[in-house]
Amino acid sequence: MTPRRTRFYLDKQNAKFLGVCSGIADYTGIDALLVRVGFVLLNFATGFFGGFGIIAYFVVAWIADSKPRELDYEDREDRRFWQKVRARPGTSIRDVRASFRDIDRRLADVETHFTSQNRRLADEIEALR
Amino acid sequence: MDAPVFIISIVAILAALVGLPWIVFHYVTQWKKNASLTVEDENLLDELHALARRLEDRMGTIERIVAADNPGFRPGLRQERDQDFELTRPDEREMQTSRPRRRDQ
Repeated sequence: MTPRRTRFYLDKQNAKFLGVCSGIADYTGIDALLVRVGFVLLNFATGFFGGFGIIAYFVVAWIADSKPRELDYEDREDRRFWQKVRARPGTSIRDVRASFRDIDRRLADVETHFTSQNRRLADEIEALR
Repeated sequence: MDAPVFIISIVAILAALVGLPWIVFHYVTQWKKNASLTVEDENLLDELHALARRLEDRMGTIERIVAADNPGFRPGLRQERDQDFELTRPDEREMQTSRPRRRDQ
């Protein structure tokens, strides 16, 4: 199975126990502490519901793979990008297009600057003749 | 058995057997619709994202070089605007964002 950016993985690097909560945090972008506290509170609120939450935790830990090394993020921006891809792929694709357009605009700015400056230089030379 | 108890139990059973799966499947289909990126799409997006970031870095370098050589040149300041924290004073920022499109006058 090829490693994928949009699949759920256990996050063993930031794990407290088996890495399920940190995996959820890594997948969704919600803070890991919030996920853990929410999980515990949900278990208490449902009166452990026949141990369902805890069983679910272990089942997830057993089924899900731990995160492969090649999917490590380069930096925080990269992590945020992929979290957004998982939540709304269409929006992130448009974001990438927007950044390309921004680069295009800035390049055009530099180009305009140079060409207009040379134009002025040419006018000055013309005036000196 | 009382009539109200009977009605309540019927409603509860219906909610558990019909309502709950309905909600679950509703969200499952929504999630499936969202996660429609194929492996190729994902690799392509990865590549494009990396390319965009590299180009943005290079663009920043070029803008800095040009700005160093030509004092009249004010580079586009998207990166600065997108940052969560502010390094410049508000009045400075206003000047930068309301810069003219063409700088040759």
